[in-house]
Amino acid sequence: MKATRQKKFYGVLLAPTLIFLGIFLLLPLIQLLILSFQQVDNFFEVIDGYTFSHYIEVLTTPVYLKTIWQTLFVAVITTVICLVLAYPAAYLLVRSPKRWRAFFYILLVSPLLTSVVIRTFAWIILLAQNGLVNDVLMKTSIIDEPLDMLWNMNAVIIAYVQVMLPFAVLPIATAMSDIKGNLRSASMILGSNRISTFFRVTLPLTIPGMISGAMIVFSLAAGSYITPLLVGGRMQPLLPLSIYQQIMQVYNLPLAAAMAFTLMVLVFLVIAVLGYILKKWEVRVNG
Amino acid sequence: MGNKGTRWLDSLIWIAGIAVYLFLTIPVLVIILSAFSPTDYPQFPPTDFSVRWFTEVFQSEQWMQSLWSSTLVMIIVTPLTVLLGTMSSYALARLSFPGKGLIQSFIMSPLMIPQVVLGVALLYLFSSLGLFGSTLGLIIGHIVICFPYVVRTVSVSITNLDSRLELASMNLGSTPWQTFYRVTLPLIKPGIIAGAVFAAVTSFGEISVSLFVSTPETITIPVRTFGYIDQTFDPSVNAIAVIFIALSVIALVIIEKTIGLSKVM
Amino acid sequence: MSGIKLEGISLDYGNHFALKEVELEIKQGEFFSLLGPSGCGKSTLLNIIAGFLGQTTGVVYIGDQDVTNIPPYKRNLGMVFQNYALFPHLSVRDNVAYGLKNKKMSKQDIKQKVDESLALVQLESYATRMPHQLSGGQQQRVAIARALAIEPNVLLLDEPLSNLDAKLRKEMQFELRRIQKSVGITTVLVTHDQEEALSLSDRIGILGDGVLQQVGEPLEVYRRPANRFVAEFIGQVNIFDAVLSEGTVYETTAGFKLEAERHESGKQPNRVRFMLRPERIFVEQHVSGEDTANRVKAVVKESSYIGNAIRIRTEAGGIELAVHAPDPMFPVLPAPGQELVLSWKKEDIIYLEVLDHESN
Repeated sequence: MKATRQKKFYGVLLAPTLIFLGIFLLLPLIQLLILSFQQVDNFFEVIDGYTFSHYIEVLTTPVYLKTIWQTLFVAVITTVICLVLAYPAAYLLVRSPKRWRAFFYILLVSPLLTSVVIRTFAWIILLAQNGLVNDVLMKTSIIDEPLDMLWNMNAVIIAYVQVMLPFAVLPIATAMSDIKGNLRSASMILGSNRISTFFRVTLPLTIPGMISGAMIVFSLAAGSYITPLLVGGRMQPLLPLSIYQQIMQVYNLPLAAAMAFTLMVLVFLVIAVLGYILKKWEVRVNG
Repeated sequence: MGNKGTRWLDSLIWIAGIAVYLFLTIPVLVIILSAFSPTDYPQFPPTDFSVRWFTEVFQSEQWMQSLWSSTLVMIIVTPLTVLLGTMSSYALARLSFPGKGLIQSFIMSPLMIPQVVLGVALLYLFSSLGLFGSTLGLIIGHIVICFPYVVRTVSVSITNLDSRLELASMNLGSTPWQTFYRVTLPLIKPGIIAGAVFAAVTSFGEISVSLFVSTPETITIPVRTFGYIDQTFDPSVNAIAVIFIALSVIALVIIEKTIGLSKVM
Repeated sequence: MSGIKLEGISLDYGNHFALKEVELEIKQGEFFSLLGPSGCGKSTLLNIIAGFLGQTTGVVYIGDQDVTNIPPYKRNLGMVFQNYALFPHLSVRDNVAYGLKNKKMSKQDIKQKVDESLALVQLESYATRMPHQLSGGQQQRVAIARALAIEPNVLLLDEPLSNLDAKLRKEMQFELRRIQKSVGITTVLVTHDQEEALSLSDRIGILGDGVLQQVGEPLEVYRRPANRFVAEFIGQVNIFDAVLSEGTVYETTAGFKLEAERHESGKQPNRVRFMLRPERIFVEQHVSGEDTANRVKAVVKESSYIGNAIRIRTEAGGIELAVHAPDPMFPVLPAPGQELVLSWKKEDIIYLEVLDHESN
């Protein structure tokens, strides 16, 4: 009796959330899915009848294919750079003296609490033709002409890395601090120096953190449009940008919906693969 | 172990690590530098000190209207998200049923769903419900986005909570509701506060979904900022940015005082 | 294989000494235990031998080589850690092969050596398992096999048995001794468990407050502890401060008399601290006669049964005396308040410290 009453109580607590997310998360996604199959007339007005044509367009038009390819490429590059940079950052976070640690945490978490618009804006100030980097470089006579650092994919990737790096550092740092100290001692006494110990013990044991970080960074990098819009310009071949343009400028909603679902499926596929590897690894190591 | 090889390696790691943290911090420093510089584009080293961008922001009717919009939305979104998030993470922590994993992934999915997709989907839903451009639409969108952050911080607190305390309370004759209110709630309060801070900060800075569902009447600060950067380069954005940074510092202090920064992520 | 020599090892943390002037020579092939309470510096000393910690002053020799400036990964030592420190992401085979791969051996040689090492600890059939699939005792054996596979100069054991339950711990103690004997390797065991140290070791070094208090064979440190610290740390002990009354008879502060053997100096010191092990005390239940030297009436305060013996706390003349009586001695536990007569032989009264040499 008691158990069922408790269960009912928990059910009551959970219900409002499920209803809310059902209406405002699941329902719109389903609507969008339906929309992506709807036919349009010449003015992109939705008309009766269903079609695969939007998906066919997304998946066969060379310019969109290039866009998809480029989106994945940028997301992968961002993820890889984030993971590489995350290791020294995580190392400092985990192994430095206590009062330093708090300081590093502040540096790490504060970007997460600052709006992405603001963080991206900083990169414009830094990288623009009359921006800070050019200013410093010209004043120190390293260059004569200002460099074009803004409005290209490199700017997008730099800004992405800065925005998303904390998401990679935090899970890796957690995994690192979970490694028992005497494992590294054991490795050293068995003849591995510190570099070899890193590659044979620390790196493999932080794989779960690496994968968790990669999942977040990849999905953010593949799905953001604010940062590329501001530092990369409107013309960068990235799927989120194309979706934004289809909606805000072309008004072809079903095509945008098809693109959105293509993007989402791609992201979920990557996350599913990463999640599968993560699970395999954890079963192997922890049973 | 004070041999040279190790010291050399240590310094290398530290240099690399500090460089990474510097890379993370530079944008914030740049913004602060710019906000107090009198020129349109900041110069290095700074030539002069001025607060003219702050004055401009506070005298602009548009900025003040957006500030009001953002604050209003944040004030409504935060308690609602915290309420929903706390209830559901508590229920999920104590319930076990087939498909629980699926529900959990669903609840956390706004973190993983590409933001542009979420924006488009809500835009379409709101147009069909007649909520497009309304403050209510913004609020709903923000709750969806902020929700996972609250669930995460509250879940951390619940995981650290000894469930035997609840059993003890129920054995002493308390109902589930009394137990929750008198035992569980006080113990997970730090997690709830941290979640509230995250929700507030996220809502205040949200842009990806807001950009799709807002109209000029309901424009929030990040959306207006975006417009200013995108269309015209207006240096008063620097002053706005400093306000955001100040807000995040306050948030950091609250989180550190309640749950501890290292526990949040 | 080689012995270990420590010369004047100190570790100074500025405000306190973790280790102070430790001098120690461990012979080749010896099983040596470092015994002491937690925080005494025994693990610190082991970490200095391993190279994980640097001493402030002093020199560590392994064999004839001064290893002070050699990092741990070049010292060729085997080490077994408290919670085994098996690599959770590697199979048993790969764990044992870990150190061999650093030695640039051929794949075939590695495989052969791994098989040999696993055979030594009788785990041949577990090679493909992951550490989490093993019991505590099995993990322990893998850790030993891994340490020995690299044919180290010395085997270091850092409280290796403390995580095992009592029965398994006994088994592993035998196993450890068997393996150590069959390989003949110099072994240093760090432990806080005196029974473990006594039963396994050729010699024991007792550390207290960073100072090496005594080094000796098990029998020696138990029967002839060098000072009060050692006496109290190993086993239970009764300690009396007494003043010479005549000949070799001393009178305790509590008023009863002890007769000891002649002091080794040939001259009886005036004030002495004696010790008497509880199990060296005979108990008579029939109370008769007067107190004489080495015979005293006592009152039971509390008694407890531990299986093979009965522990009795008694009081004689205002001081407490601990007594361990053999199990069959009492049909029922002596009740508080019961009177007993305690006696002991004079050779069991051990001079612990001389407090005052002068005779009156």
